[in-house]
Amino acid sequence: MKQSRFFILMAGMVVIALLLAACRPTATPTTPPPAATQPPTVAPTQPPARKVATFIWTQEFDTLNPLYTNMWFSAITQQIWNCWAWDYDDQNNPRPVLVKEMPSEANGGISPDGRVITLKLRDDIVWSDGKPITSDDFVFTYEMVMSPKNTVASTFPYDKLEKVEAPDARTVVMTFKEPFAAWQATLWHGLLPAHILRPVFEKEGTIDTAEWNRAPTVGCGPFVFKEWESGSFARFVANEKYWLGRPKIDEIFIRFVPDDASQVAALKAGDGDLGTFIAYSDIPTLEEANVQMVKVFSGYNEGWYFYLHPEKGHPALLDVRVRQAIALAFDRFSICKDLLLGLTQPAITQWDNTPWEDPTLEPWPYDPERAKQLLDEAGWKDTNGDGVRDKDGVELVLTLGTTTRQIRRDVQAVAQQQLAQVGIKLELANADSDIFFGSYGEGGPCATGQYDIFEYSTVVSFPDPETADWLCSQIPSDENPAGVNWQAVCDEELDALFQLQATQVDPNERMQTFHKISRLIYEKVYWLGVWEDPDIWAIGPRLKNVRLSGATPFFNIVEWELSQ
Amino acid sequence: MIRYIIRRLLQAIPLLFIISIVLFVLMQNMGDPLATLGGRQVTRSEDRQRLARQLGLDQPIYMQYLYWLIGNDWTKIDMDGDGVPETPGRRKGVLRGDFGTSLVNRGKPVLEVIWDRLPNTLLLMGTTELVIIVGSLIIGMYSALRQYSFLDHLVTAIAFIGYSMPIFFVALLSMYIFSVNFKRWGLPYLPTVGMFDPNVGKTPGQVALHMVLPVFSLSFIYFAAYSRYIRSAMLEVLSQDYIRTARAKGLPRPTVIFIHALKNASLPIVTVVGLDLPFLLAGAIVTERIFAWPGMGRLFIDHVSRGDTPVVMGILMMIAVAVVVFQLITDIVYAWLDPRIRYE
Repeated sequence: MKQSRFFILMAGMVVIALLLAACRPTATPTTPPPAATQPPTVAPTQPPARKVATFIWTQEFDTLNPLYTNMWFSAITQQIWNCWAWDYDDQNNPRPVLVKEMPSEANGGISPDGRVITLKLRDDIVWSDGKPITSDDFVFTYEMVMSPKNTVASTFPYDKLEKVEAPDARTVVMTFKEPFAAWQATLWHGLLPAHILRPVFEKEGTIDTAEWNRAPTVGCGPFVFKEWESGSFARFVANEKYWLGRPKIDEIFIRFVPDDASQVAALKAGDGDLGTFIAYSDIPTLEEANVQMVKVFSGYNEGWYFYLHPEKGHPALLDVRVRQAIALAFDRFSICKDLLLGLTQPAITQWDNTPWEDPTLEPWPYDPERAKQLLDEAGWKDTNGDGVRDKDGVELVLTLGTTTRQIRRDVQAVAQQQLAQVGIKLELANADSDIFFGSYGEGGPCATGQYDIFEYSTVVSFPDPETADWLCSQIPSDENPAGVNWQAVCDEELDALFQLQATQVDPNERMQTFHKISRLIYEKVYWLGVWEDPDIWAIGPRLKNVRLSGATPFFNIVEWELSQ
Repeated sequence: MIRYIIRRLLQAIPLLFIISIVLFVLMQNMGDPLATLGGRQVTRSEDRQRLARQLGLDQPIYMQYLYWLIGNDWTKIDMDGDGVPETPGRRKGVLRGDFGTSLVNRGKPVLEVIWDRLPNTLLLMGTTELVIIVGSLIIGMYSALRQYSFLDHLVTAIAFIGYSMPIFFVALLSMYIFSVNFKRWGLPYLPTVGMFDPNVGKTPGQVALHMVLPVFSLSFIYFAAYSRYIRSAMLEVLSQDYIRTARAKGLPRPTVIFIHALKNASLPIVTVVGLDLPFLLAGAIVTERIFAWPGMGRLFIDHVSRGDTPVVMGILMMIAVAVVVFQLITDIVYAWLDPRIRYE
C-alpha cells in the first residue's frame, strides 16, 4: 500500500512538472492574429502558413546586450535583432545600415588628420517600438561602454576615442586621441536604446542588471526579440518597422543543441534549417542528406606560435634555422588533405583570406631533407644515438600544446610523427580553453611559457588586421601579468611596423605595411600557418537566397526565403 | 525521533560549511573565467585587468570566499581603477540568501539562473526515476518469481546489455534509429532534440513527445542495477518462514507477494532510491547535452567550463543540501517501514 502511495506521489509530481514546464510563459503563437476586418463576400481562406526558420546553435549566448559579450554566437545573433552602424557583405565590403554612406576623406566624413570621423544617420531609422534612432543613442552607447559602473566585456575600441558628440539628431562626431586605422571594423557593433536603458542607469547606477540584457524587446534589427528560455531556445519575429524591408521569414527560432552529433542528426532529420561550427568529418554525411555546406572565411587561420623568450625559451627555437627546419619538416599539405578532407589548405600568414593577405607569399614546402640540413647547420645533431638531436647537452625535445579540440589533437599526433623523422621530439600537451587561454597572472600555460610551441587561431576584428599580439610592450611578466604577446617575441622592426599600421588611416599605405609585417613573420617563422580555418555553415534544403559574410553572416537575412 | 532529526540537522551545518570551502577552493583551479569570456579570442589585457577588478576576481581567495559567504555590502569596491575604493558593494552573501550573480550571464542572479532550469530537470529525471522504478519492479519481481525461467534469462540479459552500454551510445543510437532513419523510411518518427516543435508550440503533448527518447535512454541503462536489487531482495524474502506461513494459511498469491513480500523487500530499494533522489536535481549531463534538454546537467557543465564560480557553487551547494536532507528522509522512512529500527 505504501508502495502504491509512493508511485501515486511520483506520478503526480511528474504530471505537475509536465504542466509547469509546458505552461511557463513560453507560449508560441504559431498562427498570425486574425485580420481586423474581412469582406463578407469573400470566402474564408486559410491564412498562409507562418514561416519559421530554425537555427541550431551549439552554444547558448550568455547575454543579448552587445556590450557584455565576447561570444561569437551572441555576436552573430545580435545582427538578427540589433543593428550595426554598417555591416559587411559576402565580399567583406562595408554596407551602410544606420548611416547614409560610409565616411571617407572624399565625402568629408574623415578629417585630413584622421582623428575626426563624422557619421550622417539615415532619416528613416527607428527602434522596433517606433521611436526614432538618433545620435543620442550613439552617445549613450559610448557612455555606457566607458562607464566604470558597467562591467562590459571590452572597452575596445571606444577607449581610443577622446569624445563622441551629437551636434544634431542625425549627426555623430567621433574624435580620436590619435588616428585609429581599425575604426571601420570595430566601432558600433550594436546600439543601445537610450530611451529604455538611460532610466535604468540613472536608477540603478549600472546597466549590468538591466532586464533588457536578457529580454531586449526593443531592438533595431530585421527581427524583434520575442522570447529566450534558458538552455532551450530563443525566438525573434519579423520587425515590421525595419527600414531596409520586412524579412520574408516570419520568425527565427534558435535552438541550443550543444552536442555536435545531435546537431548533425537534427539537420539531417530536418529539425533545423541552419547550423554552423560543423566538423569537417561531418560534411560528407550532411551533403548526402541534401544539406548545403558553405565555407565562409572570417579571418581565422590556425597556426603554431613559438615561445621565444630570450631567457626562458628553448635554445633551439631561438635559432631561426631550427624554426625554418620545423616549417619544412611539418607536412601541412597532408594534414589538409587527409585530416581536413582536402576542404582547406595550409595557411601562410595570419591574414590569409582577408583583404590584407600578401599574395606573393607561398607556404613553406614539405622538404624533410632540407630541414635536416638546416638542423645540422644550426649544430643540432644526434650525438648520443637516441634518435633525438641535441646540442651542448640539451635534447631537442619540445612541448607542443593546444586545446582539447579534436582536430587539434589529431594534428598534434601527426606532427609528432613527422618531426620525429628529422630528429625533433615533440611532447604533447592539451588543456581546456579556459585554462589554455589563461593569462600569465592566472598561470596560463601559453602565457607562462609552459609550451615551447602552442597552436590556436585568433582574430581581433575581422576584416581588419589589427592585433596587439606582437608588441614588445605586451610580453607578459610579473609587472605585466595580462600581456597578450605570449610568444614573447620582441623584434624591434616588427614592433615598429605594428605601431605604424595602427595609425595609418590610408588603406593603401597600411596595406604596404602589412605586407612587410607578413613577410617578416613568415621568413623568421615567428608563426607557422597550419591550415586556413573557415567557418563551416550547413544550410537546410528549405532555406533559399542565403548569402553569408565572414564578419556579419546575416547581412542579407531580410531576403532569405523559406520554402514549405 | 525529533531529537535525532534536530541533531542531524545541526551536524549538517559544519559539514556544509566545510563542503563550501573545499568546493570554492577547487573552483579556483577550474580555469580563468576572463580568459576568453566564451569567445574565440583571448581577452585584451586592459579588459582582463578591469573586469578582474570590477568583479572582485583580483581579490585573494579568502576574501572572495568571504564576499561569497557574507557579502560585500559592508565594504567598497574600486570600480574605476584609480586605487581608491569608492563604490559600495551590493552583495549580501549566501548566509543572507544571496548567491550572487552569474559571471557568464552577467548581472543575472544565480538563483534565477538555477530556477530557469530546475523544473526541466525535475520533469526529465522524475519521469525517468518513475519509469526505472516501475520497470525494475516488474522485471525484478518477475525474475524472482520465475527464477531461472527463459524470460528471467532474457530480461536479465537485455537489462545487462543496457547496463554495459555508455549512455551517449544508447542516446545517439536511439536518435538515429527512431528519429533520423524512421523519418527516412516513412515511419512515424520521434523528434531529435529540444522540448517542442516551434511550429506547434510548447504544449504538454509536445513536451511529452520530446521526452520519449531521453527518458528511454536514461532508463535503459539503469534498469539492470535496480532490477537486480529487487530480484535479490525478493528472493531473500520469499524464502522466509513467514511467507511460507502466509501461503500455508491460504492467503491469495497477490496478497502474499505485494503485501508480505514486497513491503519487506522494499527496504534496500528505499535506500537506493533515497541515495539517488538528490542527484535528480543535478540532472543528466550527457543525456541533456545530446537531446538538447535544458536541464541542470547542461547548466552545470556550461558554467564550469567558463569558471562561473557563483553559479557552480550555487548548484553544488543545492545538491549538497539535498543529499543531507534526503539522507535524513531516507533514515526516517527506514524507521517507518521497519518498526524494529529506532534512532534513540
